[in-house]
Amino acid sequence: MINQTQIKNIDWILIALLVVNTMIGIAVIYSSSHHVPGNYYLRQIFWTLLSLVVLFVLLTVGYNLLVTYSLYFYFGCISILAAILIFGKLIAGTKSWIKLEFIQIQPSEITKIAIILLLARVFSEYKKKFLSKDAGLSSIFFVFMPVMLVALQPDLGTALSYIPILLASFILAGLTRKTLALLLIITLVAVIISWGFFLKDYQRDRITTLLSPEKDPLGSGYHIIQSKIAIGSGGLFGKGYGRGTQSQLQFLPARHTDFIFAVIGEELGFVGVVVIGVFYFLFLARLFQSVSKSRDRTGVYIIFMVAVMITSQFFVNVFMTIGLFPIAGIPLPLLSYGGSSLLTNYIAVSLVLNVKMRRFVNI
Amino acid sequence: MMNNKIYEDLSLVLSRARISFVIVRVLFVILILYFWKLQILDYQKFWLKSEANRIREIAIPPQRGLIRDRNGVVLAKNIASFKASLIRENCKNYDESCANISALLELEPEVLKERVDKYKSLPVFQPIVIKDNLTHEEVARIKSRQYELPELIVQTEPKRNYPFGTLASHVLGYLQEISPAEMDMEQYKHRRLGDLVGRTGIEKQYEQILAGTEGKLFEIVDSLGRGIGETSKINPVRGDEIKLTIDFDLQKKAEEILEGREGAVVVMKPNTGEILAMASYPNFDPNRFINRFTPEEWMDLINSPEFPLENRTIRGLYAPGSLFKPTIALAGLDQGLVNDSTTVVCHGSTVIYGHPFACWKRDGHGVVNLYSAIQHSCNIYFYQLGKRIGIEEIARYARMLGFGSPTLIDLPGEKTGLVPDPEWKKRVRDELWYPGETISVSIGQGPLLVTPLQIAVYTAVIANRGLKVAPHLYEVEIHEGQEIRRLQENNPGERIPIPEIYFEKIVQGMWKAVNESGTASLARVRDFNVCGKTGSAQVVSKATAEKLAKQKREIKTHSWFTGFAPKDNPEVVVSLIVEYGGGGGATAAPSGRELLELYKTKYD
Repeated sequence: MINQTQIKNIDWILIALLVVNTMIGIAVIYSSSHHVPGNYYLRQIFWTLLSLVVLFVLLTVGYNLLVTYSLYFYFGCISILAAILIFGKLIAGTKSWIKLEFIQIQPSEITKIAIILLLARVFSEYKKKFLSKDAGLSSIFFVFMPVMLVALQPDLGTALSYIPILLASFILAGLTRKTLALLLIITLVAVIISWGFFLKDYQRDRITTLLSPEKDPLGSGYHIIQSKIAIGSGGLFGKGYGRGTQSQLQFLPARHTDFIFAVIGEELGFVGVVVIGVFYFLFLARLFQSVSKSRDRTGVYIIFMVAVMITSQFFVNVFMTIGLFPIAGIPLPLLSYGGSSLLTNYIAVSLVLNVKMRRFVNI
Repeated sequence: MMNNKIYEDLSLVLSRARISFVIVRVLFVILILYFWKLQILDYQKFWLKSEANRIREIAIPPQRGLIRDRNGVVLAKNIASFKASLIRENCKNYDESCANISALLELEPEVLKERVDKYKSLPVFQPIVIKDNLTHEEVARIKSRQYELPELIVQTEPKRNYPFGTLASHVLGYLQEISPAEMDMEQYKHRRLGDLVGRTGIEKQYEQILAGTEGKLFEIVDSLGRGIGETSKINPVRGDEIKLTIDFDLQKKAEEILEGREGAVVVMKPNTGEILAMASYPNFDPNRFINRFTPEEWMDLINSPEFPLENRTIRGLYAPGSLFKPTIALAGLDQGLVNDSTTVVCHGSTVIYGHPFACWKRDGHGVVNLYSAIQHSCNIYFYQLGKRIGIEEIARYARMLGFGSPTLIDLPGEKTGLVPDPEWKKRVRDELWYPGETISVSIGQGPLLVTPLQIAVYTAVIANRGLKVAPHLYEVEIHEGQEIRRLQENNPGERIPIPEIYFEKIVQGMWKAVNESGTASLARVRDFNVCGKTGSAQVVSKATAEKLAKQKREIKTHSWFTGFAPKDNPEVVVSLIVEYGGGGGATAAPSGRELLELYKTKYD
């Protein structure tokens, strides 16, 4: 299963960057939540240790094997998502529903891994120069299923976070101008239809708020305004660790989860943002550079999709905190509090390591 | 790669991945630039916003200035009181909050919502007063549920208190919540919705002096509006004290005299215009309705047929009756129509312009001259004289002596009264002046209307032998322990263009009325040389008669007395009216004596 060469080729620098970013996250989680009950930082440490164990255990299984069984993982996830949707609805309104809600989030995160593996399988033998109709439609279908199921929960943010993974595979497969135009039209139509029929009022508010948050400063604009105030008032050096008035006095919503970057901006200032940004950039750069360290197409797809998945979430989250993107409820990978998200990202990085360490092995 | 043949050619996908990473790098640069804009370029703007977020300004109400009498007795002070306020921002669920709070404070939910709605224009974090004058038990109840109901808070505020209750209630006035209309006025621009402001009396007149300046507390709050600590504080500035010209003892006596009888009393210093006492009955206890929410008691007072809220000394309009006779006498003297030797024979009645006019004394006064006409208040003398003077001249002299225009006392809402003349009648009633009306006016009847204060000022002018006087209640204000007189004493010291000698004759007649068994002899005070005049004003108006009939009361005349003492260098003027008191000599004059006696024992 695993041999000396492979162990020698484990990318310790990537693991180090992963853990450093996670630790930065824990430090900020502590600052933003130590004064409220819940011990979030301790829980995050526990999840980190657990995720590290999973990361290393998964390295023992070759990624090709994982890709081979990807269809099973995928359908496993789909059935869990569907089951939760039906089961959750049956007992809606009772107290046990809240517990179930907590579990609901988990499969939708792990599903990202299943999607990556399945798409890697779809494109593993793909030799054409550009994306074909068959490959395109089948992969759209595979991603559309979990998107619908999660959107119905309803967790639109997570559902939409699957799309960049699909897009990543399309980019590698190659997009002609025609396909690109077609995709844009489909997106536009989907947006218009969902605006009219599927989006709930609060979701529409979040988007319109983006354009003019001052219209409703205590309603839907509140989060964006408070977040921007937090970041802007941090200035060059910030208000000091644990001393952000916006976060400590609880003006900032979801401080330790979705809006954690606003805490960084407020307490550590522009300098802190740049330093932490650089660490994050190094981590993402390492992921993107790992793409060329794969010996086969499957590996290239896996690493690239992981890199795009984490990168897209990073940008969506940070743009959200500065009011350039609607509030989507997407956590900042590695930095935000949240066990399932952390575990998913560690598994994703584990796949990258898996591909890299096996690059010199003959088939 | 050393053995390219084993591995497939991935150059195309790898180049695509590289290009994608270029986009990521560009996005990173954009991100950093945007943070530069937010955190460096716009820093000041956001920093101010975050400070405004966390720092809340809380108004600290100032203590209202005390009101004292001329000797320092405190007539209006402040006591601590608790009020409950709702902070809408902190309501998790507004309807639920209302339900909880209405149960806790024993308020009807609709009433509660109505109160909150009244202030819905205020920012959501600002406390809205929903109940004031809380009992200690209510305060304890709210405090015990502080954590469940962060939206409900208890604040202390100084509350106005009048230690003597009804005493001088019309002079002092009372406070009421500022109205939306007042909020727009320049004079109240620093006040807040929910503030109490002077509504009548001195409290209104000197609102600016008494109100003081609000203090501010800057408090750090969390997003739920819970106070976490203070940052700084600007102390409120207490309003200045006002010392009134009122004399506590005379005021008390004046009210005792009226007790149970509708009427009004004015005691003043004729030379300076200082009001020593000003009483009106029925009165009210302002302590009972100083709160924000108009209680039933106040509504009862407003709707009462006796108008207890009205200050009759400046707002009660009465016919002056015989008190007007000195005006006629002065006009006659000044016009040269009469002198000391002019006499009239009174048979008890006379016929003028074909109508019979009666004297109050049916048997008649016999031969009367100027002095005895005033002394015994002979109607016939003044009918004759009035007829000769004519209404135009009567009106001119009446106005000269202060009737028909406000005395300009420092109290809000003073009425002007009415001095009728043909021009007035034409304008208001579109009718011609009947000569018979002149005869009525000559003895202070007809459409002629005066306030008790106008009578006091008129009496002072006579006592001063023609020197005008401006009545006032403000004596001095006390700013940080220092007496300062911010208001110019409005004493014109002007002389009325009637020779002093004529006033002397009127004074002589009034002295006789008191001291030589005249109509006002019951006002006599030993060794005080009181001069006085009584009046019994007929209540002729239809409305008043109906009002009396409704109350099943005997229709009596209003009983007047006005006088001053001593005759030379007068010190005090007393004017009073008892509504439906009957004859002035029998009812009002003895009351006048009591006040003059008290003045004499206290100040002589």
